Amino acid sequence: MVLQAAVEDEAEGRASMTLRFQDYRTLFLGISLGFVLLAASPALSIVISFPSGEERFSELWLLGPNHMAEDYPFNVQVGEQYNVYLGLGNHMGGSMYYAVYVKFRNQTQPLPNAIMSLPSSLPSLYEFRAFVPDGGAWEKLVTFSVLEASLYENLSFVNRLVINDRGVRVSSSAIWDSENKGFYYQLFFELWLYDVTSQSFRFHNRLVGIWLNMTS
Amino acid sequence: MLSVFASGNQETAASSISEAEQSVAQSYEAVLDAERVGANVSDLLVRLNNAAGLLSEARLAFEVGNFEESVRLADFSGGVGSEVRNEAEWLKAKAISAGVNRLWLFLVGSVLAVAVVVSVSLLGYRYFKRWYYRRLLKMRPRVGQA
Repeated sequence: MVLQAAVEDEAEGRASMTLRFQDYRTLFLGISLGFVLLAASPALSIVISFPSGEERFSELWLLGPNHMAEDYPFNVQVGEQYNVYLGLGNHMGGSMYYAVYVKFRNQTQPLPNAIMSLPSSLPSLYEFRAFVPDGGAWEKLVTFSVLEASLYENLSFVNRLVINDRGVRVSSSAIWDSENKGFYYQLFFELWLYDVTSQSFRFHNRLVGIWLNMTS
Repeated sequence: MLSVFASGNQETAASSISEAEQSVAQSYEAVLDAERVGANVSDLLVRLNNAAGLLSEARLAFEVGNFEESVRLADFSGGVGSEVRNEAEWLKAKAISAGVNRLWLFLVGSVLAVAVVVSVSLLGYRYFKRWYYRRLLKMRPRVGQA
């Protein structure tokens, strides 16, 4: 049925009816379908899930003794105690089981390989383990000191460290860096993540560290 | 004799640590399962953190040769892990049951809501159709110029 548009209601002088009945029917069906979808949305939400689109990642940070990103220990002496705060943030979309391994190196010893996602081959001196809920954070005070160190001409040796009241043997040496004027070591923290499939920790390719200059 | 005794202690400590590691890892998996079905696991994570801390202490004690302390800490950690696992399984069952109830509520609610919307739409459509033709019949065609 074709009911022509622009038919004027002469009797009452009203505005023209510009839509045909089919157009009204389509509009009506569309609105009704919208309401049906709205009414069915609770049930639909069970079967249809949309990806969140959020990037999944973990944070690893180190703060200075005043809980700020400043005043990090740098010039260290034997027997002196130093504090830093180690923190973790989980944005992986679920609770995570993390391990942080503390390692100590000189300028020539290996760091983790970020491209190959391989951890440093150096032994772990201390470890932290943490379960962090999604969107949550974990933080721990790390206290460390050099217990035994010696100097011989242009060589420095660090034999023992104390990390959170635990004495650990390191046996690391550094040559005098004439350019930067110091004996440099790095205390660094590697982040590992528990993999449920392999039932073991795997390196999560995150690293933080501080450079230390052995002064005496 | 002393060395054999120390070696026995070392083996016991290593075995305790290994069992505690397994217990904590299994608890974590149970907590993940519970979390996936919508259970609130924040309290369990706090307790798992305690278990993990004890486990780290046990490993460190082992490395410095304090095997007795290592066994004590590892056993304690494994115990906490077992408790958490049991509770996670219970929470999971509870969350599944609540989820099934919610599913039924959503399904029945949605079916009823859809039925109401369809009925109202059909009635509205019939009313509109009648109103439209009634108005149309009252109109007169306008004579236009070609």
